[in-house]
Amino acid sequence: MSSVTDRESILELQNPIGMDGIEFIEFTTSRPQALGGVLERMGFRPIARHRSREVELYRQGGMNIVINSQAADIPRTVVPIERPIISALAIRVRDADAAFSRALDLGAWEIPARAQALELNIPGIHGVGESLIYFIDRYDEFSIFDIDFRAIPGVDPNPPAIEGLNFFGIVQYVGVERTDDWSEFYSQIFGFTPIPDEVRFGIMPRGLLLRSPCRKFYLQLIEPEGAAQYAPMEEHLQRIGFGTPDVIAASAELEKRGIEFLATDKVRTTERGALTKAILGGVMFELVHAEPDSSDRSVSQS
Amino acid sequence: MNFSDFGIDSASLAGSLETRLAAARHSGFSQVMISATDIVGHPENTDAAVKAIRESGLRVTGLEALRDFEGLTGKMHDYKIDVAKSMLDLCSRIGGRLLLTEASASVHADIDADKIARDLRKLALLALPMGIRIAFKGLSWSRTVKNFAAAAEIVSLANCPNLGLAIDAFDVIAAGVPMGDLDVIFPQQIFLVQLSDFMLQEIQSTEEQNATAAHFRVFPGEGAHSEQIAKFILKLEEIGYFGDYSFDVYNSDYLQMPSGVIADRARRAADWLGESVLRRTLPVPNMERLRRAKSV
Repeated sequence: MSSVTDRESILELQNPIGMDGIEFIEFTTSRPQALGGVLERMGFRPIARHRSREVELYRQGGMNIVINSQAADIPRTVVPIERPIISALAIRVRDADAAFSRALDLGAWEIPARAQALELNIPGIHGVGESLIYFIDRYDEFSIFDIDFRAIPGVDPNPPAIEGLNFFGIVQYVGVERTDDWSEFYSQIFGFTPIPDEVRFGIMPRGLLLRSPCRKFYLQLIEPEGAAQYAPMEEHLQRIGFGTPDVIAASAELEKRGIEFLATDKVRTTERGALTKAILGGVMFELVHAEPDSSDRSVSQS
Repeated sequence: MNFSDFGIDSASLAGSLETRLAAARHSGFSQVMISATDIVGHPENTDAAVKAIRESGLRVTGLEALRDFEGLTGKMHDYKIDVAKSMLDLCSRIGGRLLLTEASASVHADIDADKIARDLRKLALLALPMGIRIAFKGLSWSRTVKNFAAAAEIVSLANCPNLGLAIDAFDVIAAGVPMGDLDVIFPQQIFLVQLSDFMLQEIQSTEEQNATAAHFRVFPGEGAHSEQIAKFILKLEEIGYFGDYSFDVYNSDYLQMPSGVIADRARRAADWLGESVLRRTLPVPNMERLRRAKSV
């Protein structure tokens, strides 16, 4: 019996909030159609609209992306401008309220509740820059989208993913000498752990990689180098990385759909990964080689 | 000489916030320590104070001071968290990257080191997304954390990258702490060093130390302990400290003298320390200051 207890307590330590991947990633922009067009070329389909807010849900396979163009009503959050900004990350957890109060006890900043009639109150905290991090525990049998969103009629609510695309991670730009700080933040509040420098995915290897306690998601923290160190820069979530078992096939399919990839001496599409050209003032996506349903992605490459 | 390593404390100067910022700037300082009361006590409003600081051209060394924060429970803890959040917000608005936090002197505070460390870790995590570092300072009249050595133990226990120490030369000299005690401190744990001297040769009692600390400090080079101050900062250099020095000169007489005169006295202190004592390497142009070594 004691060994069972030990195993459970170790699991508890490794995944203190029972994280289980990403429910959605949110962009904020004042031009939702422009970004929607890009997402559609990336293989997403618009499937639902929020009941009361200017928020639209795009889906591809198991990935949800929402585009928010509602004027900001909370201080220190993203105000919609033309250039789309990654404004929130919603994390699936075992118990959202428990994860939320644990985060507050540790020193996270809560965002004020803003639920209206028929809307769920999703607990959330402030993340990097003006971004937010939500805790979500309704994602199995029914989701937050079943309650807060109205399906777009006649649209397949579960459009298949191109070449198994799935959320692999997010790249966060941090300030000079700020990697340790942010590593501490994600370790403390969510149970992320830094992985060794030898383990790298994709074609953009810089910075520190943190692996989620559920081993399904990565954060890559990148400090400015060279002259960029002295330029004023707000810390922010810079881009989403999509995992796929076949980067070459995925990038070929996306190119057919009108997505352009970088092809320079330093950055070009390989079996390991690919990076799209920046559009709409800075939006880019990364493709990363990753086997599907691999519960531990750290062993797949070096 | 690397004069920009030294900053003046607005609490040393009399007059309006704008007058004091202008005096600091006029005397050639590039950084200034700001008190929260400077901002919220502005006759116009907080926004005007924030604007004055941001437009002064001066870098903010830090905001002072969060007091009696740690060791509380229940509603008192929640209340102090609110106070801390408000100060962090102010600090962020003025472009500050450091919040000076003094060890609790409250009789209501728990003296358990783990609880104190846990509370400071929470404060550091609150400050983290804003890019603010917490500089924790021992106080001789605190029940638990009376000096930098005790503060360093708490900081090590809390173990958070943006939580470090503020060391006040006055406390070290007044209490006669041996310079060798600095050897046990990791230089990357020190976020701020405050420098001031005093006229008395020796301090006899805690009451005398408190009174001197609050009203009778003078700038380095003006008091009775120039040699110890020189030794103190040379020791800090020796162990590898590369951060800011701030003159925490609280002096009731100085508050009855024109701010320009006092800022010039501060300038003389900085010149003496920079040219005669420290002789730090010149920074590369356009760099705020030399970056710390990655690790030791």
